Amino acid sequence: MTTTPTPRFQVGDQVTVRDATTMFHTRTQGYVRGHTGTVTEHRPAWIVPEDEAFGIIENGRYTPFYVVRFKQTDLWPDYTGFEVDTLETECSELWLEPAGKEKK
Amino acid sequence: MSTTHSHAPLKESPLTEFEVLELAVRELAIEKGLFSADDHRRFAEWAESRTYTVGSRMVARSWLDPAFKERLLRDGTETSKEVGVDWLQPTGQGTPSDYTYFYVLENTPKLHNVIVCTLCSCYPRPVLGMSPDWYRTPNYRRRMVRWPRQVLAEFGLHLPPDVEVRVHDSNQKSRFMVMPMRPEGTEGWSEDQLAAIVTRDCLIGVALPRADVTASQVPKQPKGRNGGNKR
Amino acid sequence: MSRGGARPYDVLMSALSDVEERTGNDLVCGERTPAPWESAVQATCECLSSAGTLDNLERRQAEDRLGETVYARFPVHTRSALTVAHSLMDREIFTEEELRAKMKEVRARLEAV
Repeated sequence: MTTTPTPRFQVGDQVTVRDATTMFHTRTQGYVRGHTGTVTEHRPAWIVPEDEAFGIIENGRYTPFYVVRFKQTDLWPDYTGFEVDTLETECSELWLEPAGKEKK
Repeated sequence: MSTTHSHAPLKESPLTEFEVLELAVRELAIEKGLFSADDHRRFAEWAESRTYTVGSRMVARSWLDPAFKERLLRDGTETSKEVGVDWLQPTGQGTPSDYTYFYVLENTPKLHNVIVCTLCSCYPRPVLGMSPDWYRTPNYRRRMVRWPRQVLAEFGLHLPPDVEVRVHDSNQKSRFMVMPMRPEGTEGWSEDQLAAIVTRDCLIGVALPRADVTASQVPKQPKGRNGGNKR
Repeated sequence: MSRGGARPYDVLMSALSDVEERTGNDLVCGERTPAPWESAVQATCECLSSAGTLDNLERRQAEDRLGETVYARFPVHTRSALTVAHSLMDREIFTEEELRAKMKEVRARLEAV
């Protein structure tokens, strides 16, 4: 139905999850917003959930998805595990910005 | 035991509108010739009989067949078909309306994977069947991302500091399964023998397979204070 | 393709009285035990998909669409049931009147015990 868009980020890129407050349905968890991680994989492009949920299947924003890996010690200031621990989750391109460019 | 239950009529559990709607739609579809009552019964039976043994099979085969393992790690969705699971025709349960991609996460001596879904309770049902009750609790969902080692310790799993614990929060269209490492003491085992020790919890990542433990065997009596079996 | 989709069927809206109305925008769905009728709906979905009447992927997209629009007040776990009924009526497999009559008949039969 749509051509696959060219991903803006490459594997290895540092990205920051936008710290947007959502008024609509989203699947971007609160605990990763505003945090910086590393792109580890590309995922198949899909309609972003914010549009899919509102039925904009045909004209919804069809964007690349990424696996982003965070260091646990970056996500949680008082993390009780070890330095090596990580967390991975998936983000649509709409939620990501190049690290260091996020607006406060 | 069974003689004590009440024979009072079941009036106290009223019929819900959705129960009625479900049966009405099903019967109309049958009357219109779209499928038969037997088709429906067989699909229900098939869906409910799905268990994690498909996942166990995939791991056991991967331990024995490097080419299969390579295919499974590269394309889990497609390679699932080799063990009879088509992700485009799953049971459809879990988060409604998800079109899913399946990825297998390989453990290594320096990496331990564990899965969770903080937003709801997404689970790779076509390969693992129904999720355990605890997987769907807010306790597990909220704490696994925040205090993974603490939660793993509650399951009896302690990992050394140099092993990376990697939590996978499945929040989008992907579903995950963990591929544990083949334990010692299983040299020369058949695929069936190996599959028997890859239990559900190993595939979620809250346990590790052991040569002396299968899911179907009754757990050993805990030692207790007096040395257990000696009593 | 479904011709309608933009309009709720009254016969389905009447089921709202029987469920807790959905609040909030998120899709949190993990804190309940599915009722037996939900598995039966899934089996119906599988039958319809394998027979080529209503493809699973198409149905799931319709669930998202209808679930956030015309049936937005219903809890998420009722979406499959609503969407299957809605789509079959849209496709003129049966009419709203037929469904209403069948539901009445089914209810009478199940309450006869």
